[in-house]
Amino acid sequence: MQDVFIGFTSVTWQNAVMYLVGFVLIGLAIKKEYEPMLLLPIGFGAILVNLPLAVVWEHAGAAGFLKVFYEAGIANEVFPLLIFVAVGAMIDFGPLFKNPLMIFFGAAAQLGIFATMVIATLLGFSLKEAASIGIIGAADGPTSIFVANIFAPQLLGPISVAAYSYMSLVPLIQPPVIRLLTTKNERRIHMEYHESSVPKWLKIVFPIAVTMIAGFVAPISVPLIGSLMFGNLIRESGVLERLSKAAQNELANLVTLLLGITIGSSMKAEAFLTLETLKIMGMGLLAFVFDTAGGVLFAKLVNLFLPKGKKVNPMIGACGISAFPMSGRIVQKMANDEERGNIILMPAIGANVSGQLGSVIAGGMVLALVPLLVK
Amino acid sequence: MNDLIEILRQSGTTIQALGVTAGGLIGVFVTLGAFFLIIWLADRFGTRRGAD
Repeated sequence: MQDVFIGFTSVTWQNAVMYLVGFVLIGLAIKKEYEPMLLLPIGFGAILVNLPLAVVWEHAGAAGFLKVFYEAGIANEVFPLLIFVAVGAMIDFGPLFKNPLMIFFGAAAQLGIFATMVIATLLGFSLKEAASIGIIGAADGPTSIFVANIFAPQLLGPISVAAYSYMSLVPLIQPPVIRLLTTKNERRIHMEYHESSVPKWLKIVFPIAVTMIAGFVAPISVPLIGSLMFGNLIRESGVLERLSKAAQNELANLVTLLLGITIGSSMKAEAFLTLETLKIMGMGLLAFVFDTAGGVLFAKLVNLFLPKGKKVNPMIGACGISAFPMSGRIVQKMANDEERGNIILMPAIGANVSGQLGSVIAGGMVLALVPLLVK
Repeated sequence: MNDLIEILRQSGTTIQALGVTAGGLIGVFVTLGAFFLIIWLADRFGTRRGAD
């Protein structure tokens, strides 16, 4: 008789907590519209995998459908790379070509990755785990998943949830940090923007050159940067419009759908309900704060060397994180709130697309350097 | 360079993380600096060609 009710008798309080976590994620996706395309499938996946017997994962010795997806798309890193092809097809590097100095903000705003990694080691995490936690600061879900899967697959669930949750909370996280580090006068700085055309050959050569340079500097970053730039080359070639549209729409939607629910399936109660998860959520928030601070402070440093009239609005530095295009829009709104008519959107978007490059390169650097120090 | 890596291997985790931080940030700046150079050279080359 007990077998008949096994579904009820095998539920633990940990499973119940995970249902609650799933409901919260689904609620945030629907009510608050926080990254709904990812948080909703992640939340539902978390519920599925914690239902009695977890048959979606494994049953009677056979792999369940979510385990099949996991092994086909996460364990071998195919899903994050396919997402990158789609993201590459969506990115227009035009604003960066018109103001190339912005690229350095995409480097400075990766500070959060490294600062958080150091803090994670102080909290007792191993170097590989700390690097995986730090990479939440890439503000870039696929890079976080890619690195965590290689260095600390056991932390994939909390790291993914933290990365996507905080990406959706960028409008709440960044403004107070920016205000804290800048004066009213700095936030009112105007930036000149000259409309100019970008030669088509540059748009085509850029993704190829970027891939090759990244391949020489950090060969291990090639899957990440290569898939991103492949998508961008499809977009800019001008002869593959159907493929470009397919990458931006069908591919992005299909892989996102599978990615979310599969990540959710990694959130088994015994792995997720730990003190480590709480620490990871806290450090994820810190990573975004440090990213923002790194970008803004670097912009202020750059301003020390720029002549009057050529100074950059230091809020631009905060756009160096990879949360594209949300970060650029927030900074433009803040500039407009400070002084009506202050338009800094184009340089902000230039810094924002640089953040996409910076986060992928930073991910590659972490992947290249950490194995040199620990096996 | 090998000596530095060997010293870091023998060090504690936080020191190793600081080493990765230094190497990582330098690497990101240098790599993005190379991308900057491509765009800057393209701009100059394009402008000159336009002027000719």
